[in-house]
Amino acid sequence: MNGIMAVRFTADGFRVFYALLAAFLWLMTGLFSIQYFKGHSHKGRYICFTVLTFFAVEGVFFAADLLTLFLFFEMMSFTSYVWVVQEETVAAVRASKTYLAVAVIGGLSMLMGLFMLQHAFGSLTISELQSHAERFLNGEGGNFGNRRTYLYTAAALLTAGFAGKAGVFPLHIWLPKAHPAAPAPASALLSGMLTKCGIFGMLLVNCYLLSGDAAWGRVIFVLGLVTMLIGAVSALFSVDIKRILACSSVSQIGFITLGIGMVSIAGGEGPALYGTVYHMVNHSLLKLVLFMAAGVVYIHTHSLDLNRVRGFGRKHPVLGATVLSGVLGLAGIPGLNGYISKTLLHESIVEQIAHLEAEGAASGLSLFRTAEVLFLVAGGLTLAYMLKLFIAIFVERGEGEQHTAAKSMTPLSGIAVCGPAVLLPVLGLTPDRIFAEIGGVAEAFFNPYSGKKGVKLSGIAWLSAENLKGAAISAAIGILVYVVVVRLLLMKKENGQRVYVNRVPSWLDLEDAVYRPVLLYFLPFVCAFFCRLCDRLVDGAAALLNHTVLAPRKKRLSVWVGTRLTHMLGTAMDMLVLLLNKTLFHKHPIKKSFVSVFAVSELEARQTFSLITGSVSFGLLLAATGLAITLLYLLF
Amino acid sequence: MGQQILLLIQILFPVAAGCLFFTAPFRKGRRAGTVFLFTVLLLETVFAGAGAIMDTTSVELFCITPEIRLILCNDGLSGLFCVLSSFVFLTVGVYCTGYFAGTEKKERFYGFYLITLGVLQGVGMSGNLVSFYLFYEWMTFMTVPFVLHNCTRESVRAARKYLFYSVTGATLVLAGIFLLAGNAEGLRFGAGTLNPEVKEGQVFAAAVLLILGFGTKAGCFPMHGWLPTAHPAAPAPASAVLSGVITKTGVLGLIRSIYGIIGTGFLVGTPVQTLFLSLSLVTVLMGSMLAYKEKVLKKRLAYSTVSQVSYILFGLALMTPAGFSAALLHLVFHSVIKSALFLFAGILIHKTGKERANELRGLGKQLPVTFLCVTFASLALVGIPPASGFVSKWYLALGALSAPVGFFSYLGPAVLLVSALLTAGYLFMIPADGFFPGKEYSPERPEIKEATPSMLLPLIVFSAAAVLFGIFSSPFCEIVTKIGTEMLRL
Repeated sequence: MNGIMAVRFTADGFRVFYALLAAFLWLMTGLFSIQYFKGHSHKGRYICFTVLTFFAVEGVFFAADLLTLFLFFEMMSFTSYVWVVQEETVAAVRASKTYLAVAVIGGLSMLMGLFMLQHAFGSLTISELQSHAERFLNGEGGNFGNRRTYLYTAAALLTAGFAGKAGVFPLHIWLPKAHPAAPAPASALLSGMLTKCGIFGMLLVNCYLLSGDAAWGRVIFVLGLVTMLIGAVSALFSVDIKRILACSSVSQIGFITLGIGMVSIAGGEGPALYGTVYHMVNHSLLKLVLFMAAGVVYIHTHSLDLNRVRGFGRKHPVLGATVLSGVLGLAGIPGLNGYISKTLLHESIVEQIAHLEAEGAASGLSLFRTAEVLFLVAGGLTLAYMLKLFIAIFVERGEGEQHTAAKSMTPLSGIAVCGPAVLLPVLGLTPDRIFAEIGGVAEAFFNPYSGKKGVKLSGIAWLSAENLKGAAISAAIGILVYVVVVRLLLMKKENGQRVYVNRVPSWLDLEDAVYRPVLLYFLPFVCAFFCRLCDRLVDGAAALLNHTVLAPRKKRLSVWVGTRLTHMLGTAMDMLVLLLNKTLFHKHPIKKSFVSVFAVSELEARQTFSLITGSVSFGLLLAATGLAITLLYLLF
Repeated sequence: MGQQILLLIQILFPVAAGCLFFTAPFRKGRRAGTVFLFTVLLLETVFAGAGAIMDTTSVELFCITPEIRLILCNDGLSGLFCVLSSFVFLTVGVYCTGYFAGTEKKERFYGFYLITLGVLQGVGMSGNLVSFYLFYEWMTFMTVPFVLHNCTRESVRAARKYLFYSVTGATLVLAGIFLLAGNAEGLRFGAGTLNPEVKEGQVFAAAVLLILGFGTKAGCFPMHGWLPTAHPAAPAPASAVLSGVITKTGVLGLIRSIYGIIGTGFLVGTPVQTLFLSLSLVTVLMGSMLAYKEKVLKKRLAYSTVSQVSYILFGLALMTPAGFSAALLHLVFHSVIKSALFLFAGILIHKTGKERANELRGLGKQLPVTFLCVTFASLALVGIPPASGFVSKWYLALGALSAPVGFFSYLGPAVLLVSALLTAGYLFMIPADGFFPGKEYSPERPEIKEATPSMLLPLIVFSAAAVLFGIFSSPFCEIVTKIGTEMLRL
C-alpha cells in the first residue's frame, strides 16, 4: 500500500488539441464575461471557480490514468456546481442540487467501476487498458466468475458516470435546469466543454476498455438515438432561449453518443470515428457562440422568454448573422461545419446498412434502417427549433424591440461572440484541410482502431447528390415541422398577438415525475423504516424489560390492610404469641405480627380468587368440570 | 528502564494533572487553568510521540495472580493510537478553552478530560486483555461526566443510557474473556496467541461475545443506541472526543482480541466472520440512512459516526492485510474528520443556538471560514478525491474485492458507495444551504461574527488535516502497512 494520489499526466495529440480548444473556450467566455458581469454581485466567486474549473478540465484531458481522471472529474463537478448556483435564485438553487446529485451519483458509480478495474487489472493507466482487458478476458489473474460480465459491469458503471456529465438519457435531467439558471458564459462552458469531458470518458471506455465490442456499441448507439430524439423534441416545445439551447445540447450529445456507438459497431471502419470527433468539436464551438449570443440578449432584456425578447435582434444585424451561422451550423446546412459531421455520421449508418445487406444478416438491419430515418428526423427537428429561436428574436416584431440599445456588444464581447462564429463557415467550407488535421490527430487517440482502413477524407465528395439528399430531407422535415408544429400548434392568440406557449404538461418531467419522488421520498421512507426498526431494537427491548419484568414494585400505601375479622383474629393470635413468648418460647421468641400476616394472606386470597374467577382458564376449568360431571353422570 | 518509566509517565502524568484540577487553588483563575491545561496536553503529546518512536518495551505493573498480570507494552498499534488520541485531545483542548469560556464548572470537565486522556494511553498500551479491560472500564466511567456535563434532564438520561450500554457491552466482553482465558495462556496480545489445543466452540463463542461487546463502544449494530443519545446531550468538545477517539477504543479492543489473541487464521471463513461482516454492513447502511433522515445536527453526526466506524469494522472483518491496513487508515482519518464536524456543530450552537441542520440557511455568508472548513470536512467524509476519506475508502473497497469473502467482496464496496451517497446527501446540504440560501432568504437575524481564534483554529487544523492527510497519504499508508505486518505476522 502506497500513497495513491500519484497524479500522472500524458499529452498526446488529441488530448492537447482538446485541451487547447478548452482554453479557447475559456478565453472567449472570459472576454465576454467582462460585459456580462458588469454590475453583478459575487464577481470574484465566479472568476475563482471558473479558473478552478479550467484547471480541472485540463486535468481531465491530460490524465494518464483513470484515477487521475476521476480526481479532476470530481473536482470539475464540484467547482462547476458554483456556476449553476451563482445567481442564487430559487430556480438556480434547485437546479444546482439536481446538478450536484447527478454529479455525486455519477461519481460514485464511476468509483465502483474503478474499484473493479483496479482489482482486475492492478493498474489504471489508460494506454495499457486495452492490453489489460485482453489479458483479463483470456483468463489471467484470479477468480472473477464470468469475466465478460465483470468487464461489462465495470464499463457500464464507468459509463454511467461519464454519461451523467455528458447528458445522455436518462441522466440528462440536469441540463435543461442548470443552463437557464447559470450565467451565460458558464452555460457556454457547461455545454461546450464540460459535457465533452463526459464524452471524452465515454470514448475512453469504448475505445480502450471494450475496444471493438459490437454488442456494447449497440447499447451506446440506442442510448444515443433516444437522447437525440428526446432532446430535440423537448427543445421544440421550450419557450426559454437557454432551455432550447440546453435541450439542443442534449440532442446533439445524442448525435455524438450515437457516433461513439457506431465506432464500436463498425469496428473502427468507415466514417463514424471522424464524424464523432468532428461533431464534438462543432458542438463545442456552436454552443459557445449560441449561449453567448443568448447572454447578449439577456444583458439587454433581462429575460430569456421568447415572448419577452421577441424582436430584440431586428436592430442588431451582426448579432443576427452570428446566430444565423450558429443556427445553420447546428442544423447541418451545407456550407457550415455541422453539415460535415452530420454527413459523416449519417454516412456511417448508411454504410452499416449496406454492410449488413451485403452480408445478408437480418438481425439489426431494421434497427439501423429505423435509426437512419430517426437520424434525419432529429436533424429536421434541430432546424425547426433553431428556426423558432431565430425567427422569434431576429425576424418577428414584439416586446423586445423596446430595448433600443445602440450597441448590443462591447468590442471585447464582439470579438468573443463573433470571432468563434467566423470559424463555423471556415470549418464548413474547408473540410479537407482543418478537419483532416483534427481527424489525423484524433486517429491516434482511437488507439485500437488506428491502422484500420478508415475513410480517406479527401476522397469524399462532400457535395455529392447523395450527401446533399440527406441534408435536403432533414431541411425539408425541419421547415415542415416549423410551419406545422411550431407556428400552428405551439402558438396561440393572446391580446391580439400570437405568443409562444409551452404545451408540455408539467408532469411530463422525468426529474419531477420519477427521480425526485423516488430518490427523495419513496426510497428514503422505505429504507428509513427498516433502519429505524434496527435502530430501536435494543432500546425497545430495554424499554420492554423496564416496563415489565424489571419494573419497580408499586409501593403499598394502604394504611388499613385486611378486614375487621382478620384484625381481630390477628390481635388474638398476637396476644397468644405474647403469652407463649413469655413462657414456652422463651429462648426463641416468635417475632412476627399476626395482624399483618392475616391481612396479607386475606388480600392475596382475595386477589388470587378474583384473578382466577376473571381468567379464561377458570372459565375453561368450570366448563371442563361441568363436562366431567356430566360424563360421570352418564357413565354411572 | 528509562523507557519503561516513560510508559508509566504517559499514563500517570495526565491522570495526576487531572486530579490536580479538582483540588489545586489556581484552577479558578481564568488564565492559569487554561495555561495549565494546554501545557499538560502539549507535554502529553510529546510523551506520546516519544513513546511511539521508542523501541517496543513492556512493563509489568503487578500481578494479581500468576495468570492475571497488568502489562503495558508499546507496539506500533499503540503508538498510532496514543499519538492520534493525544493529538485530537490537544486540538480539542484548545477549542474547549474557547467553548467553555465564562461558564461554570469547567474545571470539572477539564479534570475528567485529562484523566480520560491518561486512561486512553493505558488502553492503547495494554499488553494483555485483562489490562485492556481494566483501562477500558476505567475509561467508560471517566467519560460519563462528559455526557453528564450540562446537568440537564436530557443529559442525565443520556448518561444513564450511555452507562447502561457501556456496562452491558463490558459484561459481554468479560464473558468473552472468561471463555477465552482457558484457551489462551495469559491472554497476551500478539498475532494469535491461542494455545495449541483449544476448544473451538468456546473460542467461537468468545469471538462473538467480544465482537458484540467491543462493538458497543464502536457503535456497531445492535448495540449502537448510546451514540445518538449521548452526543447531542454532551457539550461539543466532548462529542468530538467521544466520536473521534472513544469509539475507536472499541475498534482497538476488537483488533487486540480478534487479531491479537484469537488470530485471523482461526476465524477466516467461519460463520463468525460472516456475522461480523453482516453486522458491520448493516450498521454502515443503517447509520447513513438514519443520519440522512435526522434533522438535529449533532444527532445526525452521531449516526454518521455509527456508520463510519463500521467502515472500519468492515475492514477488520475482512481479516486480510489489505482490509486491516485500510481499516486503520480510516480510523485515523475518521477521527480527524468527525472531530472537525463536531467542532463545527459546537461553534454553531455557541454562536447562534441553532441545533437543527435546516436552520443554517444563509449562515455561510456570516461565518465564511467556519463553513469553508465544514465544506472540506464534508468532502473528506464523503470521499471526494484527493481528500483523506477517499484514500481509505479506496483501500477498503480494494481490500474487500481481493478478500476471500465471496459475496461480500462485491456487496461491501456497493454498500460503502451507497452510504457515501447518503453521506453526501446529509452533509453537502449544510454548506450548500449555508452559502447559497436562495433569493427568498432574507437575513433577519442579528449580525453574527466568526468564533474566537481559540475555537476557530482547531476547526481549521482538523479540516486542513482532513484534506492534506489524503494528498500526502504515503506516510500513513506506510505506518498502517507496517502495523498490519506486525499484527498479522506476515
